Amino acid sequence: MSSILFYVLALVALLGAAGVILAKSPMGSVISLLGTFFALSVIYLLAGFQFLAAAQILVYAGAILVLFLFVIMLLNLGAMGSRFELSFAPLQGGRARLAGAIAVAFALVGLIAAQRTTLAATSAPAADAPAIDGLEGLALELFGRYSLPFQAVSVLLLATMVAVIVLAKRQREGEHGGERGGERGGDPR
Amino acid sequence: MNVPTAHLLYLSAGLFALGVLGFMVRRNVIVVLMCVELMLNAANLAFLAASRQHALEGKPALQGPVFAIFVITVAAAEAAVGLALIIALYRLKQSAETDAAAEMKG
Amino acid sequence: MPSHESHAWLWWIPLLPLLGSAIAGALHLATLRARHGDPQASAPASLAPWIACGAMLGSFVLSVTGFLELRELEPAARHLASTAHDWISIGGLDVDLGLLLDPLSSVMTLVITGVGFLIHVYASGYMKGDKGYGKFFAYLNLFVFAMLMLVLSSSLLGVFIGWEGVGLCSFLLIGFWYEKGWPAEAAQKAFVMNRVGDACFLIGSFLLIRLFDTLDLATIAHTVGSTVSFTDEQALDMSLAALFLFGGCCGKSAQFPLFTWLPDAMAGPTPVSALIHAATMVTSGIYLVVRLNPLFAASGWVLPLIAIVGALTALIGGSTALVQRDIKKVLAYSTVSQLGYMFLALGSGAWAAALFHVVTHAFFKALLFLGAGSVIHGMHEEQDMHKMGGLRKHMPQTYITFLAGAAALSGLPLLSGFFSKDEILAHAFANGGLYYGLWAVGALTAALTAYYTWRMVALTFFGEERFDHHHVHPHESPLVMTLPLMVLAVLSILGGVLGLPPVLHVPHLLAEWLAPVTDAGNKILAQSPGEHHLSHALEWVLLGLGSAIALGFAHTGFHAHRHGTAQDEFFARKRPTLAATLGDAWTIDSRYARIIVLPLRMLSFLIAVVVDQFAIDGLVNGTGRTARDIAQHSRRAVDGSLASYALWMGAGALAICALWMWS
Repeated sequence: MSSILFYVLALVALLGAAGVILAKSPMGSVISLLGTFFALSVIYLLAGFQFLAAAQILVYAGAILVLFLFVIMLLNLGAMGSRFELSFAPLQGGRARLAGAIAVAFALVGLIAAQRTTLAATSAPAADAPAIDGLEGLALELFGRYSLPFQAVSVLLLATMVAVIVLAKRQREGEHGGERGGERGGDPR
Repeated sequence: MNVPTAHLLYLSAGLFALGVLGFMVRRNVIVVLMCVELMLNAANLAFLAASRQHALEGKPALQGPVFAIFVITVAAAEAAVGLALIIALYRLKQSAETDAAAEMKG
Repeated sequence: MPSHESHAWLWWIPLLPLLGSAIAGALHLATLRARHGDPQASAPASLAPWIACGAMLGSFVLSVTGFLELRELEPAARHLASTAHDWISIGGLDVDLGLLLDPLSSVMTLVITGVGFLIHVYASGYMKGDKGYGKFFAYLNLFVFAMLMLVLSSSLLGVFIGWEGVGLCSFLLIGFWYEKGWPAEAAQKAFVMNRVGDACFLIGSFLLIRLFDTLDLATIAHTVGSTVSFTDEQALDMSLAALFLFGGCCGKSAQFPLFTWLPDAMAGPTPVSALIHAATMVTSGIYLVVRLNPLFAASGWVLPLIAIVGALTALIGGSTALVQRDIKKVLAYSTVSQLGYMFLALGSGAWAAALFHVVTHAFFKALLFLGAGSVIHGMHEEQDMHKMGGLRKHMPQTYITFLAGAAALSGLPLLSGFFSKDEILAHAFANGGLYYGLWAVGALTAALTAYYTWRMVALTFFGEERFDHHHVHPHESPLVMTLPLMVLAVLSILGGVLGLPPVLHVPHLLAEWLAPVTDAGNKILAQSPGEHHLSHALEWVLLGLGSAIALGFAHTGFHAHRHGTAQDEFFARKRPTLAATLGDAWTIDSRYARIIVLPLRMLSFLIAVVVDQFAIDGLVNGTGRTARDIAQHSRRAVDGSLASYALWMGAGALAICALWMWS
């Protein structure tokens, strides 16, 4: 039963990914991506990763995608079409064909790699995996063996915060900095 | 769920390939960023699939989730910086298309 | 073997001049800084001669102390050694950084510091007013340091460092007035020609390492001296080592065919010529041979070769000095000639006689150079003897002392040069065979020496005054310059007592003193067949012959030239080819110019024009042009389009993944 659910969810995830590429408006891409994330989240849950499933929903769906939506609305890009429409225009042309070839090659490489990995027993396991990422074990790993990468990631987040503030800050007139490019581009702002 | 690990990895490869495709063909920078997120998710899925295989074999399996958490964090940071860049680009060019950033005449 | 007792104070003998050099150099820099602000500012460099002379005096006192201490010891135990530390220790080769004071180095040290001190005093007057006053004393003291390291070092490597050090200081001091142009060229010439010798020195050292696994001089001498017989291969190696070391000596001591740098080296200030190019540095080759005398004694055919080279050099130098007009050139060729005598002595196995001549030559040649410097100083930098004459009235003290030096050089009886020269000739004669010919060359050179010496005296101090009275007002030099002349004059006259001939039945002081060092070599030579002792009657004959030659040719030379330049002009008119050949030192120098320098210059020109401008510049410019062309084409790939970047990036990532998969 849950195996069938997995295949259905896998299909949903792939369709969502395709929707990201094909949606006419960025808004549609976000919605498709949301579908993919949800499907993945349920797959994680099925595979025994409860914490990761929750984190996927909270961080990806709840935070990152909202951020995307926020930017799309801020820049008024959502107005291109309120309905969910597909457009195959990006997949046409020589460059797109080349890109398609590269993507297919990637998929093939991935499939072959999956095939060759000794980890990936192609037979179905006899039993379900137990809950793997118990909070206690995860915390012990994160703050024990992986405390250094953990701190490095914290520093990365701090740096990101600073960078985002600097980048997004609206510079006042007369200040040196990023606005000079705008003048060259003929932008009165 | 008694699905072979290989199938999880197939799904991961498919998602990654679609992410790569979108990354190369879409011109809207926001969508390009979303495709990057797709690729990161595909990588996460691969981590977790490997971790699950370990768990099924009774070996320690917590490395996968730990790395997935790191990937999610990095993805969040990347999205934040990327979107800030998009805002800056939009302010400059009134556009979020990749071609708008092309200023060099090769 | 050197005693193991350490005498660390020995280090102060070379270190005092080094310290003096550093202080004098600092004073010179301070002077430059003071002058930078105010040209009239009191120059700190005026302190430099006090420092330098003080250092020399201290060094001399220590040398005398060392000499006295050596004298207290048994002759066989006369070694004072001090080892600073193990310097190099590779495999079987151990080189110590150490000093060794034994009878030989003590004689050299006394000469270097004693004569050096007098020349320093003299220079403080001679160089007064020169803008490089402080620098001059810094170099001079540095030279003394290097020279003392050369004679005091216990290992050949230490000797080599001193050897290179004196070469460097010689370069610096010859080119002291480099602004004039030609002194800089002369300095370069001296340096380059010495390189030839130094390369030979190094090869000789390597051969010695191969033979003896050590560079310790005393050990090498002892090993050779105590070995009864050598294999053929060892004997050949030893001969080669001796030959190459002698090649090194040829460079440093200005022997044929490497002597041509020494006359040019007269471009330096006169005290430099006296100290470096007459008294000390050029004798380091003799020191080295005496130091390793067992090696040379055991090296078979090298010894006659040294004698031949020495005799030939003596003849070339002496005959060239006959026609020189520049007073310093006469002295320079005379020095070459006298160094040839010393090597003739070495080649005859007369180690002590060679060193005896080193000592007496240091006295009288330094005196003559300083006297010539005094004349040049009084004549406002005039060096041409044809523009001098009658100076004895104007500079009486210089005249008297110069006379003493000239008498000693020409070997007038009972003066120092007479005894040392006749001892050399007697030893050469005693060896017989080939050496009869060499003795004849030596006797001929003695005649030439007497002639050119008194020609120089006559042209300089006698005859009518040929200088321009409106511009030149000859004057006696200050006391600080004449005092060293007087001391050296006394030494030149009395120096002979160090080595009186055996016929007088008095001990040869120097030979006895050096006996611990030279015995080993003499023992080896005594094994070879041949007559080594002259009968008393023959010795008297030789002494009488030497006196007659010296007196006769001194008389001839003096009277031929005492009335002016007529004799020179007559000779140049009568035998123009001979005069030109002699004037050019048998055209050896111009031959070098034609055979070595000119092809080298042409090769350099070829390289500069063809190789450099076409090949190398072409390569360099071509690299730049190619890079630009590639950039011109490849910049189209970098078009600023993110979409195509993404494509490239994807393709690259795919390639890397594919590589992973199949590697």
